[in-house]
Amino acid sequence: MNQEQEAPTVTLRPFDLADVDAMMAWASDPVATSFMTWDAYTSRDALLAFIRDTVLPHPWFRAVCLAGDGEVSGEVPVGAVSVTPTDDRCRAELGVVVARAHWGKGVATAALKRTVAAVFADLDGVERVEALVDVDNAASRRALEKAGFQREAVLRSYCVVKGRLRDMVIYSFISTDPLLD
Amino acid sequence: MELQQQGDPPRAAAEPTGEVVTLREFMASDADAEAFMSWASDPLVALFQRRDAFEHVGQARRYIFDHVLPHPWYRAICVGSGSGSGSGSGAAVVVGSISVKPAPAEADGRLFMASVGYRVARAQWGRGVATRAVRAAAEDVFAAWPWLRRLEAVADVENPASQRVLEKAGFVREGVLRKYIVLKGRPRDMVMFSLVDTDRVAGGR
Repeated sequence: MNQEQEAPTVTLRPFDLADVDAMMAWASDPVATSFMTWDAYTSRDALLAFIRDTVLPHPWFRAVCLAGDGEVSGEVPVGAVSVTPTDDRCRAELGVVVARAHWGKGVATAALKRTVAAVFADLDGVERVEALVDVDNAASRRALEKAGFQREAVLRSYCVVKGRLRDMVIYSFISTDPLLD
Repeated sequence: MELQQQGDPPRAAAEPTGEVVTLREFMASDADAEAFMSWASDPLVALFQRRDAFEHVGQARRYIFDHVLPHPWYRAICVGSGSGSGSGSGAAVVVGSISVKPAPAEADGRLFMASVGYRVARAQWGRGVATRAVRAAAEDVFAAWPWLRRLEAVADVENPASQRVLEKAGFVREGVLRKYIVLKGRPRDMVMFSLVDTDRVAGGR
């Protein structure tokens, strides 16, 4: 991977139905979604339904935007980050995806840092945010580590991804962990 | 997530019991409800569980009816020969319970994971009962559920005896998950263990 330039300025905001076309940029990309448990979207209508039925009512789902230099394009999402509470009220699961055009610039790392700085105040009772990463997903593992997540274990035969049972590395960020940067 | 119970007995561990450990289904009987109370009413056993200790046998009776009997896989742990119905000397006695809960199916409807939890009456601690029960349960569910690929269990970081049970039963210690589960109102660090189907091929542990 390239050495990163100075970290991008990333902001998080709620999604809007109007973001569907920007979202298609990563949601329809088999490469950007290769490690996701969900399949790449092929239909704009299906993605619109996903935004309406899952994203908008979700307790914590954010559009990742690059702070522009005043241009409108600065508000266009280049990725998404979500933190989903589980049946255990102290624990929530994080997912992040970035459009391929913006890989290698530290966008995911910056989005993760913003997330852990905000989410514990937003989600009542949550003290642990965990992320499951495919053992082969080196880029995501690096982003989590740079954002201050602790690697805890390899969970064997833990997730079905694209029809295959995979080992997953589990990372966590606890409410008392130090915020980096 | 099924949770473990077992702590250290106050004295050095006794020799493993030479008696047979078997598993059977619970019955909606007074005898099984009474036996249930031998661990379910013990605050020390309940220490590492979500549930509070029971105070009267009616709670055990209701728990067997509402939770145990409809459960996908819940067994009584019996020590001694016989069926554990409590009749006659030397007959099997119910000393604990063990349960295996399938994880919810993934979006594609696929089942592949389950979690195991167990509880043993304090008088039976330190004799290898839980270890043998866990081994027997693992054998049973991997045989009964061909879809099963991963059987997991968590033990509180402050429960080393339970961690040893899982290790001796052949589970692999994967790591400590911080503030993983809320027990008695507080998030607890838990050690995660697993047994995957490939651990169990001939020659495996």
